[in-house]
Amino acid sequence: MLSTFKVSFKLRIAYKTNGVIYGLKSLPLIKKLLPDSLYGSHNLKIFATIISISAELSSIFIGKLLYFASLYWAMILLKMTPESFVHIITFLTFIGAILNTNMFNPTKDKYYAICLMRMDSGKYVISNYIYYLIKTFVGFLVFSVIFGMISGIGIIACIAVSVLVISVKPCYSAWVLMKYKRTKKANNENKPSVIMWITVIILLVVAFLPPYLGYAISEGFFLLLTTLMVIPAVSSIIYIFKFGAYRKIYKELLTPENLYINTSKKTTTEAQLLAMQKKITMDPSQISKKTGYKYFNDLFVKRHSKLLTKSAKWITLISILIYLIVVGLCLFFPDKTKKFNEVLHSSLPYFLFIMYSINRGSIITQAMFMNCDHSMLTYRFYRQPKAILSLFVERLKSIIIINLMPALVIAVGLPSLMLITGGTDQPINYLLLFVSILSMSVFFSVHHIVLYYLLQPYNINLESRSFTYAIANFLTYILCYYTMGKQIPTIIFGSTITVFCIIYVIVAFILAYKLAPKTFRLK
Amino acid sequence: MKLILDNIKKKYDKKDVLRGASFTFETGYIYGLLGRNGAGKTTLFNCINEDVEIDDGRCMVEVNGGTRNIDVNDIGYVLSTPMVPEFLTGREFLKFFIDINKKEIGQGKTIDEYFDMVSIDMEDRDRLIKDYSHGMKNKMQMLVNFMANPQILLLDEPLTSFDVVVADEMKQLLRRMKREHIIIFSTHILELALDLCDVIVILNNGVLEKIDKASLDNSGFKDRIINALRGE
Repeated sequence: MLSTFKVSFKLRIAYKTNGVIYGLKSLPLIKKLLPDSLYGSHNLKIFATIISISAELSSIFIGKLLYFASLYWAMILLKMTPESFVHIITFLTFIGAILNTNMFNPTKDKYYAICLMRMDSGKYVISNYIYYLIKTFVGFLVFSVIFGMISGIGIIACIAVSVLVISVKPCYSAWVLMKYKRTKKANNENKPSVIMWITVIILLVVAFLPPYLGYAISEGFFLLLTTLMVIPAVSSIIYIFKFGAYRKIYKELLTPENLYINTSKKTTTEAQLLAMQKKITMDPSQISKKTGYKYFNDLFVKRHSKLLTKSAKWITLISILIYLIVVGLCLFFPDKTKKFNEVLHSSLPYFLFIMYSINRGSIITQAMFMNCDHSMLTYRFYRQPKAILSLFVERLKSIIIINLMPALVIAVGLPSLMLITGGTDQPINYLLLFVSILSMSVFFSVHHIVLYYLLQPYNINLESRSFTYAIANFLTYILCYYTMGKQIPTIIFGSTITVFCIIYVIVAFILAYKLAPKTFRLK
Repeated sequence: MKLILDNIKKKYDKKDVLRGASFTFETGYIYGLLGRNGAGKTTLFNCINEDVEIDDGRCMVEVNGGTRNIDVNDIGYVLSTPMVPEFLTGREFLKFFIDINKKEIGQGKTIDEYFDMVSIDMEDRDRLIKDYSHGMKNKMQMLVNFMANPQILLLDEPLTSFDVVVADEMKQLLRRMKREHIIIFSTHILELALDLCDVIVILNNGVLEKIDKASLDNSGFKDRIINALRGE
C-alpha cells in the first residue's frame, strides 16, 4: 500500500514538475531561451520539483485559510454571534462532503496512474484517500483553532471541527459507493446532479439564515454531533477499504470529456469541437428561402439560435424587467427620483461596459470558426475574395441585428427614465442617450467580427495563436472597464462616443474590405 | 491537361519538407503518391492547392500547349479528415454548393441524383451533417469536390474510412473519372495503390520520383517500391 502511494505521489509530482516547465516554456521571451531538451535538464528539474512540492504543501493550507478568513469576514459583516461559527461550519462541512470528495473528482493524476500506468486501483484510491484525509485534517486543524479561538469558541470545539470534516467526508463517499453498487452509475463531483444542487442550496440557507436571525446550534450540541458522526465514519472508512470496484468506477469517470484537457492536443480540440457542436440545434421550422451565402448564413444563425438569438432574447427580457422595476421604484419613492435623475445624467460611461458585456460578438465568432469556417476554409471557393466579403457582410448584418434587440430596449429605456425622473435642461440628452447606446451596440458587433476577419486567430487545431488578437481583446476590456469609473456628463460622453463609433465602424469596414481576403484563412 | 510541379521547396521552421519536388502529371491517369509517415505528402497537396505558400518553385497547368497558373476551379482537394459544415443537413450543403458554383456545375443532376452517386440513403439526406458517420462525411466531401468538376483531383488518404462496399464503389467511380481528370491519390496502403493507380510516384527526402514497373511482377514491383521508400 505504502509503495503504491509512493509511486503515485512521485508520478503526480513528476507531471506537475513537467507542467511547471511547460508553463515556463509558454512564456514569451523565456521560451526562446529554453530548448526542448529542458525536460531532461537536471538543475531545472530540481527547481521545478521544489516548486511543485511547495505547491502541494501550500495546497494543504491556502484553501483553508481563505475558507476560514472569508467565513470570519462574513460573520462580522452579518453581525453574528460566536455560536454561529460552529453552526455555519457544520452545514458547510456537509456541503464540502458532497462537492469535494477527492474520490469522485476525475483528475489527470488518477488517469495517468490507473488508466495509463495500470496501477492497482484499490491500493491507489485508498492510499491517496488516506493522504487526502490527513491533509484535510491538518489544514483544518490549524485554521479552525486560530479562527475558532478568535471567534470565542472553546479549544475542544475547534479541534472537533476538523474531526467533523474528516468524519462526514468518508460517510458521504461510502454512501456514493453503495449507490454505485446498486445503480452502476458513477458520480462525477464536477457535474453535480439537480438533487445535489438543491441539497447544497438548502444546506447553504440552513447554514446562514438561522444564525443571521439569531438562532444557532450550541457548542454542546456540536460536540455531541461530532462524537456521534465518528461511529458511522469508522464503518464508512472500513467500507471504502473493502470496496473492490474502483477500476470500474474510474473507467467510467476518467473519460477524455470529463478530464477535459487531457492526453493530447487532439483530444482537447475534439472535446472543444464536440462541446461547440452540441450548440447546434435543428427543428423542421428552420428553413431558408434565400440563396447562396445569404442562405448559408441564414441557416447558420437559425441552427445556432440557442447560442445567439435565445440569449439575446433573454438579455432583452431581463433589461425590460429591470426597466419596469426601476419605473416602479420611481413611482413608489417619488422623493428619490431627483437623485436618480442626477445619476442618469452621468451614468453613460457605465453603459459602455454594459454594452460590452452583453454583446454576443465574441461567442458568435467562436462558433463561426468552430462550426463553420474551420471546415469551410479548406475549400478554395470559400476563400475567394468575393466569397469572403459577401459572407462577411451577411454575418455583420446578423450580428448587428441580434445585438440591437437588447440595445434597443436600453436605448429607449434610458431617455424615458430620464423623462420620468424629472427630465433634463438640455433636450439633446434624450437623443444622445438613444443614439449613443445604439452606436455602442453596433460598434461592439463590428469590432468583434472585424477583429475575427482581420486576425483570424485560430489555427487548424483550434488553438488561438494570435498574440495580437489576445492583446486587442484585452485592450477593449480594459478600456471599457476603465471608462466605467469616470463621471462624464452625458452630453460630452454621448457625443464623443457616437462620433467615435461611427468613425471606427467606417474605418473597420474599409480595412476589412481591403484586407480580409488576405487575412481570413486557416493558419 | 498537364499539372506541372517545378522545383517546389517548402520549409517548416528548420525542417526541409520539400526540397525541389518536380513532376508532370497528365490527364487520363490515376497517380498513387506514396511516402513514409511525415514525408510531406499532405504538405505537397497543400502547396498545390495554395493552402500554404511555397518557398520556391512553381505549380502550373499546361492546356493546349500553353502554361498558366493554377485557377480556383482547376483543383478539387479531398482531405483525409472530412471537412464539412456540421450545422447544415446534407441536402442543404449540396444546395448551397450548387448555388455558389452554378457556373461550373451548370444544369447538371438534381440533388438527389448527386446523393445517389455516392449512395447516401434517403433518410440521411435531411439529417444534420454533424450526426453523420465519419465515412458519410467523407462521402459528402468527396461528392462536392467532384460536383464542380475540377480537372485535377487531390485525394489525401480518401478510401480508408469507407467500408469495403463503398470503397469498391469509389474505386469504380475514380476509374470512370480518370479519362477526363488528373487524379493524384496519396495513401499508406501499398495494395490499394497497386490496385487502383496507373503510376506510382514516391515522395522521399523531399523529392518526387516515379517508380517504373517495367517488366516486374506485382511482388517484385512491391519490393522495388519499398526499397525506394527506404531510400535504397
